[in-house]
Amino acid sequence: MSLSKGIIIGCGAIAREHLAAVESIDSTTIVAVCDLSPTKAQATAERFGVSTWSTDFKRLIAEHAPDLVHITTPPTAHASIAEYCLAEGMNVLCEKPIVTDYRDFEKLRLLAQSRKRYLLENQNLRYHSSVRRIQQFISDGHLGDVVDVQIQLFLNLYGPGNPFSDDNTPHFSHALKGGPIGDFLPHIAYLSQMFAGRITDLHTLWSTRQSGSTLPADEFRALMRGTHATATAEFSGSIQPNGFWLRVLGTRMSIEADLFNPPRISIRKLRPGEPALMSVFDGVAEARDIFRGSIAGLGRKLGGTSSYDGLKESLKHVYDCLREAEDQPITLEEIDRTTKLVDRFTEVGLST
Amino acid sequence: MKILVTGAGGFLGRYVVRCLLARGHSVRALVRPASPAPNWGSRVDVRCGDLRSEVDLPSLFDGIDGVMHLASATSGNEDTQFASSVVATERLLDAMTRSSVKRLIHISSLVVYDWSKAAGYMDENTPLLADPSGMGAYTIAKVWQERLVQDVAKKAALELTIARPGFIWGRNHVNIAAMGRRLGRSFLMFGPLTRLPLTHVYNCADCLVAMLENRNSIGRIYNIVDSDDVRVWRYVREYARRTHQSGALIPLPYRAGYWTARLASRISRTLFGAKGKLPSILTPTRFESQFKPLRYRTELLSETLGWTPPKPLDQCLNDSYSTEREDEDVAQPVSLT
Repeated sequence: MSLSKGIIIGCGAIAREHLAAVESIDSTTIVAVCDLSPTKAQATAERFGVSTWSTDFKRLIAEHAPDLVHITTPPTAHASIAEYCLAEGMNVLCEKPIVTDYRDFEKLRLLAQSRKRYLLENQNLRYHSSVRRIQQFISDGHLGDVVDVQIQLFLNLYGPGNPFSDDNTPHFSHALKGGPIGDFLPHIAYLSQMFAGRITDLHTLWSTRQSGSTLPADEFRALMRGTHATATAEFSGSIQPNGFWLRVLGTRMSIEADLFNPPRISIRKLRPGEPALMSVFDGVAEARDIFRGSIAGLGRKLGGTSSYDGLKESLKHVYDCLREAEDQPITLEEIDRTTKLVDRFTEVGLST
Repeated sequence: MKILVTGAGGFLGRYVVRCLLARGHSVRALVRPASPAPNWGSRVDVRCGDLRSEVDLPSLFDGIDGVMHLASATSGNEDTQFASSVVATERLLDAMTRSSVKRLIHISSLVVYDWSKAAGYMDENTPLLADPSGMGAYTIAKVWQERLVQDVAKKAALELTIARPGFIWGRNHVNIAAMGRRLGRSFLMFGPLTRLPLTHVYNCADCLVAMLENRNSIGRIYNIVDSDDVRVWRYVREYARRTHQSGALIPLPYRAGYWTARLASRISRTLFGAKGKLPSILTPTRFESQFKPLRYRTELLSETLGWTPPKPLDQCLNDSYSTEREDEDVAQPVSLT
């Protein structure tokens, strides 16, 4: 099997996750890394044993002709770098959000189609172990029909040392519609549509809870009607502790996944029998699920498993598809729907 | 001389500025936008900006004779600290090398040393960390920051002095990692008789200004430690007494802690291979860098600069825990002995 080659542009935290993930994928290697800061590029290359680093991504593309370019820069730089790479005949995988304006995505999509190249957004939660388990319950018919999807993301946006609210240098996410929340909207958008179908009706609420905040918003709520089910999404920059919860509620079963602490999920399902007794069984089953998931989660952390669950599987799938000359694993249509929904989230109620 | 001080609004920076003023220098102080600038008076030209994003860096060097580079992050995640310490330094040096300013005092840290290779004592010849990636965010940033400074100074023929202070302590900064760990109200001390590489912020600032004023320091590297007479037990006991902590002080042998970390590391490797992750206290190299019992040689400072710490320990302790106004503490002129 020939060795697939990738290069990484942008050497921040998410780039290190890509590098660690690719390290564990057979027949795939990162041949070069790039960053505007030469020291950051050099430090990243040295840490992961990458032979080449540079501040000039165009030179790296010309020299290495990689199978895939990972764009892990701040989002405002994605469109121009992706456009150059696609024009040069490269396959492109962008971190989320793939663009900061839907019109940029339309241009990139046309370019990718005309050049017959991949244009991907990293939607690693599609491959998250808990999300996959929920999909399995649905496809096996255990959950029944999906009625509602609930997504809750709580992330402290304030406090000393918090990059999102650094008053000295604005975090890159401040350039996004919705500020730091905008960085997480793609996850909310594609998870909602994975389980509720295409969103046809949407109501949003944006607000700033923290007085004196320089962020455009720190709270976000969305109520959605999809083609199969309804969905709600909440982002809070103040609720503590941090958490990322996905609940899929069906006609026979409800599943709650703690996406920050995989594989912790809890299941509630219909049980025949005396209701009072069954509530005890439910409690015991739930406690067992949480305990098992927590122990397994601790093992994952001690074992150095990436906190970006699903990233390795996602990247492996991309490289496998490239090797087999298959269509890109997440279709342009799916990415289009995600990007469009992210744009719609920020259309109403957000002060700029 | 007119000195540009980066990180001037920080803990050490404020003392350095006052020390420079007391010695008759004038100062251009770079303070971060979110840091309130102290009331230095007209002898300080205060510039507000962040080295990570400030556009007009070249003008900082107009009329400057030397740079005291203190800007660095001590908290935040790896990316934040790398950007604040390394990328910021990259941008500063890029502007500096385009100016006519050659003199640079860079403030590094003892964390850049490979503590596992220090046998018995630490001095400026102790080997440096070759691979900092397994260490904490602060260490990673300081190692790369110093590599960058050395590299640029060599290429641009800068008149460089590198200072590697030990634990800088002082008022509102008396908690240091080498004290041990809190356990509820109690305090665990790993190696109560271990000597601490302390430098009081007043003494450290004095030492940095002494380096700047003495051309013997050019091309040299100095560890800054006031003396290594203070042991963990005394420092923690003073801390507990002066801050009215009533919890128990529990001494543990250094070796017990170190071998526990080694054992945990061995188990982690067996179960998870090289990717296993442990808390820093259970990572042997990180445990060593905080608690390893060593002696600290300071002869180079006294032999080449004639420097000894102006403020004795008892006075440092009194000042650090005093409730009097800080200005009274730092405004006094400092003289070399």
